[in-house]
Amino acid sequence: MSEPVHRFGSARTIGRGMRVAPALSSGIGLTLLFAFIGTGARLVIPILIQLSIDNGLQIGNIRVAYIAWLGLIGSGFVLISSASLRVATKRLGTRAEEGLFTLRIKLFDHIHRLSLADHNDEKRGALVSRVTSDIETLTMFFSWGGLSLLLDGSQMIAVASVMLAYDWRLAVVAFLVSAPLVLVLRLVQSRLVHAHNISRERNAELLGVFSEMVSGAETLRAYDATNQMINTVAKDVRNRGDSNIRAGVIGAFLFPSGEVFAVFTVMAVVGAGLLIGPAGGLSAGALVGFVFLTYRFLEPIAEFTEVIDQTQSAVASLRRVLGVLDTPIGPPQPSMPIELPKGDLSIDFVDVSFAYGSRLDEDDDTPVLNSINLHIPGGQHIALVGPSGSGKTTLARLIARLADPTVGSVMLGGVPLHRVGNDDLRRRLIVVPQEPFLFAESIAYNLRFALPDATDGQLLEVFSDLEIDDWLDALPQGIHTNVGQRGSSLSAGERQLIALVRAAVVRPDVLILDEATSSVDALTEVRISKALSKLAKGRTTVSIAHRLSTAARADRVILLERGRIVEDGSHQQLLAALGPYAKQYETWVASTQSNLEL
Amino acid sequence: MANDEVVEDLHSQSRLRVGFVLVRDLLRFHPRIFALAVGGASIYAVCTVASSFGVTYLVDRIILPRFDSGKIDAGVYFIGASIVIGIGLLRAFGVVVRRSFAGVSNWRTVESISMLLVRQIMKQPVSWHKKKMTGDLVARVGVDSDAAAEVLGPLPFSTSVVLLVFLTGGWLIVVDVPLGLVAISVIPILLLLNVGYQRRIDKHYDTAQHELGALSSAVHESFDGVMVVKAFGAEERETRRLSVISTRLKDARIRAVSARSTFEALLDGVPSLVNILLLVIGAMRVESKSMSVGELTSFIYLFTLLIFPLRIIGYVLSSVPHSASGYKRVREVLDEPTMRDPLTLVLTSNTDVGVRLDGITFRYADDLPAVLVDITLEIAAGKTVVIVGATGSGKSTLLSVMAGLLQPDQGMVSIANRSSSIVFQEPFLFSGTIRNNIDMGRLLSDSVLHNSLFLAAADDFIGARDNGVDTVIGERGINLSGGQRQRIALARAIAQESAVLLLDDTTSALDTVTESTVIERLRASETIVTTVIVASRPSTIALADEVVFIENGKLSDQGHHEALIVANENYRSLMQSFEHDREQGGL
Repeated sequence: MSEPVHRFGSARTIGRGMRVAPALSSGIGLTLLFAFIGTGARLVIPILIQLSIDNGLQIGNIRVAYIAWLGLIGSGFVLISSASLRVATKRLGTRAEEGLFTLRIKLFDHIHRLSLADHNDEKRGALVSRVTSDIETLTMFFSWGGLSLLLDGSQMIAVASVMLAYDWRLAVVAFLVSAPLVLVLRLVQSRLVHAHNISRERNAELLGVFSEMVSGAETLRAYDATNQMINTVAKDVRNRGDSNIRAGVIGAFLFPSGEVFAVFTVMAVVGAGLLIGPAGGLSAGALVGFVFLTYRFLEPIAEFTEVIDQTQSAVASLRRVLGVLDTPIGPPQPSMPIELPKGDLSIDFVDVSFAYGSRLDEDDDTPVLNSINLHIPGGQHIALVGPSGSGKTTLARLIARLADPTVGSVMLGGVPLHRVGNDDLRRRLIVVPQEPFLFAESIAYNLRFALPDATDGQLLEVFSDLEIDDWLDALPQGIHTNVGQRGSSLSAGERQLIALVRAAVVRPDVLILDEATSSVDALTEVRISKALSKLAKGRTTVSIAHRLSTAARADRVILLERGRIVEDGSHQQLLAALGPYAKQYETWVASTQSNLEL
Repeated sequence: MANDEVVEDLHSQSRLRVGFVLVRDLLRFHPRIFALAVGGASIYAVCTVASSFGVTYLVDRIILPRFDSGKIDAGVYFIGASIVIGIGLLRAFGVVVRRSFAGVSNWRTVESISMLLVRQIMKQPVSWHKKKMTGDLVARVGVDSDAAAEVLGPLPFSTSVVLLVFLTGGWLIVVDVPLGLVAISVIPILLLLNVGYQRRIDKHYDTAQHELGALSSAVHESFDGVMVVKAFGAEERETRRLSVISTRLKDARIRAVSARSTFEALLDGVPSLVNILLLVIGAMRVESKSMSVGELTSFIYLFTLLIFPLRIIGYVLSSVPHSASGYKRVREVLDEPTMRDPLTLVLTSNTDVGVRLDGITFRYADDLPAVLVDITLEIAAGKTVVIVGATGSGKSTLLSVMAGLLQPDQGMVSIANRSSSIVFQEPFLFSGTIRNNIDMGRLLSDSVLHNSLFLAAADDFIGARDNGVDTVIGERGINLSGGQRQRIALARAIAQESAVLLLDDTTSALDTVTESTVIERLRASETIVTTVIVASRPSTIALADEVVFIENGKLSDQGHHEALIVANENYRSLMQSFEHDREQGGL
């Protein structure tokens, strides 16, 4: 793991892949053997022709019975080799599927355990395509390109062996004349691969342009800028087409190269055969058979040129997949976890600094938190306030151990977080994010995400505890109501309510709330704040407050600016101190006061 | 889902018929290029048959005489070599022409289809776009267009196979009738085998495709929700859930592999067995002096050449359903009538009037309840007006109707100078520079540009960038915040210099200080005449000259904020609930 996988050559990448998913290479020797026997059928015909011409079709001495016997034996060989071919194809296909399945599951598991820094919006698309399109590329490779390489490779080796056995002199001539083909292939191959890479890039770019055009259609229409967009798109469409055509033309020249070499090789072999003649121990049948073998020998080249690109992109996909598996997982698990103490849990920060930085993106390492020291006693409700980018969310994430500090340590109930087992932590501490994520399932499904064994009755009880059962009762199917994609059939406020209930289901000792900024209708707003205060009661609670009213309600307010704690105290104390908090509060009050003359 | 149905549908229909209609339509785009590819394919087919003459010549005239009589005739050898090499090169040339132009024909057709779609999509008004899913449209312009033309790639090859089958069949019979009949009998066997194989395997591939779709959306969801997954320690459960779907995918694929391995073996074995039969029968024909050894050899050679195209013709035909379903999805968009642009129905309002609505009623679909009901109102020119209402009361819809983006079912919209600019709740910025995003393809003077940025309070943060307005949006490292994006979108609207500016909750992503700066600057500006803002923040409402209060899609009241507080009880309670949160804060 010392060397990053993106610097691996093809062979090393494939080797790594096989170690990660052993099914890919298990029993490969036997598969090869079957493939070898399987291509045998393609040799039967040239051999039969040779034997017939030499022993059964001499002028004036046609031995039909002999040829019929040969045919019978040959048919037997064909049947055996077809059966072998079936076994080889099936083995390769099945094992590839098993191996890729393993790889996919390993990816799921690994990606779920990556730290949140590796899960931001930009990288998420890449992660999704690792488990979908990259694995699919590998699947395609194994079912077409890989199979061709296996069978065609076996065919070339088998044919070459028979050629050598027939007449080594003719075989040498054939190999020498066809050898330059290797150079031609190597030379054109790199250009072909390059052309395919470009067209793949263009394809991806064009999809981006299309998606921008469609997503921006409203704006384009509203600002009458459609013609400009059409011109841009037309140019990109043309470029994409051109790059694909270019790759196609290079492939078109490469494709028949095997056939071109075959005719020259055949004529060279015939010429040499004529010179050697019967005096050199050659027979007419052997020479004719050899002509057929030569065609068979170079036949797979056409297919090889077809799979070059597939092979390259399969290796590239495998490399990307391995790259993800090499990205270190989020906070590592302790080998000897310490159990959290019972009851209220205090939170401590000791000289904590934090910078985002991930293996996937090495440039991004500006410190977000700077030497934070903080003690939050058990049961206290604190509010984190500060401008956006001040480090509030990061501070909360460190408490939840969704990331580990770069420097210093965070303790929960006196236990350093990196010594707390994940299961223990998730039972005791719950995070309610700003934009709570809901699965496209029922409300009950989303709540059971927190506690899989909860009964409907238990879930309903939580609703009444939080005094929002009236809202639930108003829904058409109660807790069995489907929330839609990402909860889209609920309003933003309702999604937050569900997230609060989901947190309450666990009955955690520590609660971390990231307050939503989006506007919520008044009634739901009331429900949310009521449920919130019920939920926070008696729990160590850390609220990331965007509304200063939330701060005013908390036991204690912490003002962050540029990753440092600037002010710390109760709402009243901070107001009295006339510091930056008091100033912010004043502006906020002024802005929300809508001259209510009551 | 729809895609699966199409594929299902195509299985039941005659594949040939579907293929015929598809190809006829596709060929209309670039028939000449396609003809060139077919020309190349014909050269290939003719040379393939001709190359068997070379083999006959080699065996009968060169090899056998040498071994029978011992004489080597250099002249004959060179004639033979010229025939074999010449035909071989010409055949390769045919392949190059066929493949190159097949590619050109395929990609030029994709281009034509994509651009037809792009133009059609850009012609449709916003109301049409609102009904469409972005992802679905992108798929139609992108992957579906690609798929539609896909059949053109291998099609010239198929024509050469047909030609080859006829030429070879004819030639085989000419050489020797009984032997020819045996050889030709293999053609229908292989074709049937192929068709049967494709039918069976398509079923497995369709299942696999379906499971892949399911897996892909589950993966999207699971990774999107990774925060929740982690927060509840559900990593293992999620992996298990995904592995269940992956297992179904794997099983479908393995069933396909199993079917395929059987057919591959049959396709390999059957022709070899027929070939052996040809040899045995051929030996009898040679014995009865009906043919020469050279003819028998070239016969077998020709048969071998015929087998490869016959083996893969099934694979070629298998692209027909895929192409057809792509083409169908393309046609659906192209065949939809272009909807009328509601903007053309907007009237010019009288002087002193910024916006006038007369009896506006609007519903999103005929079977849905009306979102706006008989709204009549007038906003005086030069005023800053807020539209207030509970969530779902129809505020944003009302604004879109004013902007001429949605066509009301009844009623009339009049706008000062018929010129308005709307800023959406979710601003859309294009990749490119900040300047491109503001001028939207028009050349703006620097003074208009900078004035717009100033009014939108976007001058300070843009000024702080090294490249200023020429900063590329979306480039790595430049992350605009929600508020900054909003201000760029606002500047874009201001730069249009319209008489009416329509803001859909635009300032909600700004902090209250910046918000009041923006509104004050807009009010003071001479270029902006009338501003209509959808708002739900008390701070925004307080800054307006006038309030339009909407309840359940109806105009409830219009007037000054303080007057409404006193006179309208519903308005008062809505404002109270906005205040409620702060009250609880212990003030």
